[in-house]
Amino acid sequence: MGEKPDVWQGTLALMVLRTLESMGPQHGYGLARRIEQTSGDVLELNYGTLYPALLKLEQEGYIRSRWGSSENNRRAKFYELTKAGQVRLRKATREWKQTTEILARFVGDRSKA
Amino acid sequence: MEKLRAFWIRLLNTLRGARENGDFADELEAHLAMDTERGLRNGLSAEEARRQALIRSGGIAQAQAAYVERQGLPWLESLLRDFRYSARSLTRNRMVTVVAILSIGLGIGSNTTIFSIVSRFLLRPAPVGDPGTLLSLRTSHDGDQCCNPFSWPLYVDLREQATGFSDVAAYFDLIPASISGGTEPERIWGQGVTPNFFRVAELPMVIGAGFSDSDYSKPVVVLSERLWRRRFNSDKDIIGKAVTLSGHVFTVAGIAPAAFHSINQILNAEFWVPLGMAPQLAASLPPHDSREYHWLSVIGRVRPGVSRKQVAAQLNTIADRIDAAYPATDKGNRFVLEQAGAVPARERTMVLLFLSALSIVVLLLLAIAGFNVANLLFAQALNRQREMSVRLALGATRGRLIRLVLLESLLLGLGGGALGTVLSLWSTQALSSVRFPAPVPLDLRVSVDGRTLAYTALISVLCGLVLGLAPAWAASRPKIANALKGEAGFTSTGHRISARNLLVVVQVALALVLLSMTGLFLRSLEKASRIDIGFNTHGLLLLSVDPRLNGYSPAKTSTFLAQLRERAAALPGVDAAVCTDVALLSGGNRSDGFTVSGHSAKGDPFALADLYMVTPGYFDALGTPRLAGSDFSEGSAKGPRVAVINKAFADRLFGGRNPIGQWIDGGGWTYQIIGVVGNAKSRTIGEDTRPILYRSLDQSIANDPSMMGYTLIVRTRGNPTGIAAALRREVYKLDPAMAVYNLETMDEHVRTAYVLPRVAAMLFGTFGAIGLVLATVGLYGVMSFAVARRTREIGIRMAMGARRPAVLRLVLRRGMALTFAALALGLPAAWMLAKIASSFLYGIAPHDAMTFTLVPIVLVLVALVAAWIPARRAASINPTEALRRE
Repeated sequence: MGEKPDVWQGTLALMVLRTLESMGPQHGYGLARRIEQTSGDVLELNYGTLYPALLKLEQEGYIRSRWGSSENNRRAKFYELTKAGQVRLRKATREWKQTTEILARFVGDRSKA
Repeated sequence: MEKLRAFWIRLLNTLRGARENGDFADELEAHLAMDTERGLRNGLSAEEARRQALIRSGGIAQAQAAYVERQGLPWLESLLRDFRYSARSLTRNRMVTVVAILSIGLGIGSNTTIFSIVSRFLLRPAPVGDPGTLLSLRTSHDGDQCCNPFSWPLYVDLREQATGFSDVAAYFDLIPASISGGTEPERIWGQGVTPNFFRVAELPMVIGAGFSDSDYSKPVVVLSERLWRRRFNSDKDIIGKAVTLSGHVFTVAGIAPAAFHSINQILNAEFWVPLGMAPQLAASLPPHDSREYHWLSVIGRVRPGVSRKQVAAQLNTIADRIDAAYPATDKGNRFVLEQAGAVPARERTMVLLFLSALSIVVLLLLAIAGFNVANLLFAQALNRQREMSVRLALGATRGRLIRLVLLESLLLGLGGGALGTVLSLWSTQALSSVRFPAPVPLDLRVSVDGRTLAYTALISVLCGLVLGLAPAWAASRPKIANALKGEAGFTSTGHRISARNLLVVVQVALALVLLSMTGLFLRSLEKASRIDIGFNTHGLLLLSVDPRLNGYSPAKTSTFLAQLRERAAALPGVDAAVCTDVALLSGGNRSDGFTVSGHSAKGDPFALADLYMVTPGYFDALGTPRLAGSDFSEGSAKGPRVAVINKAFADRLFGGRNPIGQWIDGGGWTYQIIGVVGNAKSRTIGEDTRPILYRSLDQSIANDPSMMGYTLIVRTRGNPTGIAAALRREVYKLDPAMAVYNLETMDEHVRTAYVLPRVAAMLFGTFGAIGLVLATVGLYGVMSFAVARRTREIGIRMAMGARRPAVLRLVLRRGMALTFAALALGLPAAWMLAKIASSFLYGIAPHDAMTFTLVPIVLVLVALVAAWIPARRAASINPTEALRRE
């Protein structure tokens, strides 16, 4: 755990929303796995990071949850994107792209110089 | 938006205390199981798979804690926990809590009451639409005092030229009318308004359309919501129906909003008629085309986007123009702007002075209460050093301890605020039920409004925090080592005792100031009740009618009054029946300036006299002594005008000469003086003796009828209330449509005249008594605390041979030292404040010897008692027990 970077609060929300959009309804374990895989196993999500973040998104109305059964018939809680969540995701994605572009210019310049 | 949603969910979770830990545990368990399965699929042993899954989880318990934290609002939860703890600790020290809440409650209740008066008369905007852009306009003559009303032509000029206003309306303040039909006839007061009045004021009708611009001389009327409810049972179909006002038929055009009494928020108008119809109801209204009579109040609605400064500048230009155009009548006239509904400039100084005196008193009271509670909490804090030490030793931070103590005092402040609000609800109701002596209906009700509640909440919180600061500080830094041993780390904290002593000295000094003020007011009232008002009040019954409102001609009115006198005199038990226009002590009446005929040059004697119309026998009926000359005689209506003057009038105009037979001029008439009578109070109890001129009712009624109606005064042998009903019946026998008002005994009437000194004395008396009680409790508290703390020392003293009287003296001396220090501090302050208060005091030198001797004596005596009780306790200490106790 120690050598792997912590996930920043804001970006984790974006990752969760994006993952839910691409995968559809998903349980916590699936989400964690997918995010870890997508990050090339650089990130590691422990429960204390993931679940409060999910709860926060749910309180804010971006996702909703219900109990269902997993592929091997295990009872699990499934999260899915709401309308508000889709809107939020589009907005956050746009903002994030803008931010990274701007930052890239700075960081990029420096590496050239 | 979404943040707010999340906040609400968390807040609700916190308040409900609802948690779904089981649910979350299941979710975590599922996660763990799926992760373990993956390990198994990758070929790990069951044990190893679970172990690695657990490592990846980062700790189940930690996750649960983080989750729970996100579910609710942790800071709020800990705050609530502290609140619960504070409340518990308050209930444990029940005595302290009760005394503290009572003290603060009385202090805050007094402040809330006074603030509700301030709010009502100084802060409340006029009850019109958008009060910020509605201005009242007056005129003032160059160099003269503010302010005069408008003449009609001046209003028209202004309406046409002042483009800074979107519209300007005019109204005549007071028009009497009798309203009959249905129940008993009643006299009511209303206003004559230009048809745009309600539009300018932005007052939408409750029902009906109100006036339209073409209604200036149409017989239409807008009724007040109160009149509509009282006399028409809130009839929804009243619009278009006819009502009869003083015998004239008006069509109801609308019902004004319930909250609206009048623009100035003091007069209580019950109907509004177009100004062009007003002369039908009030015959003596000035002519419309004259620039000489100033009789109209004016309001203007500022056009949007125009500043008040621009309006004022424009009005100045208009004033110059009018000045040039009409030099004979309008020279030097300026316009004066005021926010509509504000206290008129003329009364403002007086109102401000009175309210600031009251505010000072209640703030003093709150300060006394505050010192009381601060002292209590301070004592409690010292007592709790052990508890605090334990908490500190167990790892609580000082900040947390301070917060805990502050929360406690905050709760006390809020409790006191709640109690104060309840008290002020009651007191404002009591104040609202006071009747004021005025010939016209006033709406002077005060109530606890939103502004007052906000103020109360604010001072409650402030009180709680300020009072808690010192104890919080003290409680959070106990001498841990001493305190834990059970020795109240106290022996070395002499400076804290002296701080408490200082508090109590200031408190008693404040009580002294408060009591002196109270004493002065009570003395003033007592003096007032012994004033010779110049007539006898016993056995007299008053009844007023205004036949003019029923369309009577002056001659018919005169006949009616004569018949009424005759019928009243024939009732059993009646000695005499006379008439006047307005009873003495009604708050005000007509007055005119008088000079001796032929001597009206500057520097000749001049008397501004109040005028009363009377019928023969008036002076004997009221017991006013006749000093010289004769009374009026019956049937003198046709002869030259005659007058009876009071002594003050005679002294002013004639000095030592005999006034009988002399001629005087005033108010456009010449009178021959036929008699001199004793002085009487004319308008108010507190006035300096005024010159009064009594004139014959029958001689004056035709040319100068009374606007206020006429009053029958009946002298009876027994209790005058007994014939009230019979008297009313006699009026109805003469005319069933005649409204009867002000039916009361002279005793009652005069009692209302005492209302101002009485209300003032009541307020100051109550506040003074509360202050005395609070200061006594404070002194007692400090003394008992000191005795309790010194139990051991006193025990030793007694063991060493000190006798009881010596111990008694020891404690008493200490109490008295505090008291005398307080006197030294308080007396000069009271002395100075008395000077300010003297402007309200009747017949009392501000430095009334009686008050300033009695108050300190009373205070010393009370202090002696407050110190005596703990001193006795100290003297009865058993040395053996006292020494064994620790």
